[in-house]
Amino acid sequence: MPNGLITRRAALAGTAAASVALATRRGWAAAPATVNIGFFTETKPTMIAKGEGWFEAGAGGKLNWTEMGSGADINTAITAGSCDIGLATGSAATAAGIAQGLPFKLIGMVDNIGPAEEMTVRTAANIKTPADFRGKKVATPFGSTSHFRLLGFLKTNGLTQRDVTVLDMKAAAIVAAWSRGEIDAAYVWAPAKSKILADGGAVFPTYEALDKAGYVIADLVVVRDGFAKQYPEAVTGFLKAYGRALTMYQQKPDDSAVLVAKQAGVTPAVALADMKEYDFVSLKDQASDAWLGGTAANPGKLAHVLKGTADFLVEQKSIKSAPAVDAFQKAIDTGYLTKALA
Amino acid sequence: MRTLPSWVITLLSMAVVLAIWIGITSGGLVRDLFLPGPLDLWDGFMELVQDGYKGRPLLEHVGMSLFRVIAGFLTGAAAGTLLGLGMGYSPRINALAAPFIEFLRPLPQLAYLVLLIIWLGIGETSKVTMLFLAALPVSAIAARDGVANVPPERVSVALALGASRWQVFRYVIIPSALPEILVGARLAAGIVYGTLIAAEIIAGSNGIGWMILDAGRFLRSDYVFAGIGMIGITGILIDRLLLLIERRVVHWAGR
Repeated sequence: MPNGLITRRAALAGTAAASVALATRRGWAAAPATVNIGFFTETKPTMIAKGEGWFEAGAGGKLNWTEMGSGADINTAITAGSCDIGLATGSAATAAGIAQGLPFKLIGMVDNIGPAEEMTVRTAANIKTPADFRGKKVATPFGSTSHFRLLGFLKTNGLTQRDVTVLDMKAAAIVAAWSRGEIDAAYVWAPAKSKILADGGAVFPTYEALDKAGYVIADLVVVRDGFAKQYPEAVTGFLKAYGRALTMYQQKPDDSAVLVAKQAGVTPAVALADMKEYDFVSLKDQASDAWLGGTAANPGKLAHVLKGTADFLVEQKSIKSAPAVDAFQKAIDTGYLTKALA
Repeated sequence: MRTLPSWVITLLSMAVVLAIWIGITSGGLVRDLFLPGPLDLWDGFMELVQDGYKGRPLLEHVGMSLFRVIAGFLTGAAAGTLLGLGMGYSPRINALAAPFIEFLRPLPQLAYLVLLIIWLGIGETSKVTMLFLAALPVSAIAARDGVANVPPERVSVALALGASRWQVFRYVIIPSALPEILVGARLAAGIVYGTLIAAEIIAGSNGIGWMILDAGRFLRSDYVFAGIGMIGITGILIDRLLLLIERRVVHWAGR
């Protein structure tokens, strides 16, 4: 496919070269004036680095935070050039973006989602086995990692979307519909998940079996190609700031929860409980081939996960086609992680 | 050039747009994520026709959307017109209803999306209600203004000739206000169509509005454009149908 972004890239590179030239002439460091961050308000250590200004110090420029509706929104914004770093974007959206050749690199991860996104069933709906989902209404935000897991759950249990009514709803709408008793189950994340669990819901465990079947989901950090080329130091500094927040969370979880709670607008107890569900992988482990690491000839685990996700999305007709696994490894750049660890 | 009939000009403008479209897409100037070429679009459309979208046939998506639009439009326009006639006829009814109508009219439907779900659930009721609320104020204001613009002499003459208040309303005011009511109905139909995507955000899994939204998430531009095309074309058809009704019912208007 002819790459129409060439002209755009050329233009960007031109601008970049010009501003670097200008910067050196005036004796400035090549740090960005503003960095556009696409993010979600969540109960995660990212909120420590945001609230304490570590991300800003690490990137070396003013951060312009934009709350996004979904990982798909981050893909669109990066493609349009209006988002430089996507923080905690879901692996489903990232897999789709790589398959479509969008201009970004995957540089790190925020967490391995694990049980933090999980099926919640209404106790009154009497759902005990996968077969009990027949004829039931299950809601999830489409295009999300939860949606991907839910479809994986149906597929691995021989259920189709004719057997189960799958509804596309935003997290807030799920809580509203749940309170009226209109949906029997939902696949979603906190805080919606905690709210429906407290309102007559029970966990229906699916994640361990799905993780084993290859339906691993993770929250990732992506950076726009043009930005990474121009400001590699800023990208490294940003990851380093997250590493600092991770260390703080591991050493002082209670103090961390207070800081996270302030940013997310919840109580420290809720923040701590939410965070315990996630597997916050250290930067060092992220760089190994258990996650991002690997080579095009010998791709790591995450590249395989993304390839599997993209193939599934092709099956769902969400995207047209998916490249081979090495293309996914090539879209991963562990260079910034390595520098942040040094 | 002066003698060119207008349909030729329309065809020419369409041909020029098509040529530009082919020009910028076939040369690889833009990626199909940003703008699919005519052939990509056609392939996408045929895929939708043959395989449907996300487990449902295309006709089901189109049918559900049309059902919602027509149900919301008919109920909203009927209720709005009745209310507007009353508001135009009686200053008291106007004083009662005007603040709510004026408040509702500029309100973005997405603002009360979650409220509609809590009150009415996730089924068709909440979707049709959202479209109803979109059509209601426009129709009410058109009908009220239609009544207000009835020349007072007509009413005085009818009263002088011994007509009752009901007869004046039925035989003088309604026919005089009808042209504006029908223009209001066409406006309302347009607004209802514009609200369709917002309505189908409520727990979607069918409808053209939902399809556009869902396909847009993964930048399936061919499906997005196909959906936009279908909404555009059915929108024009509905508008033409209303125009036809308008011409037959109030053939005297504007003469």
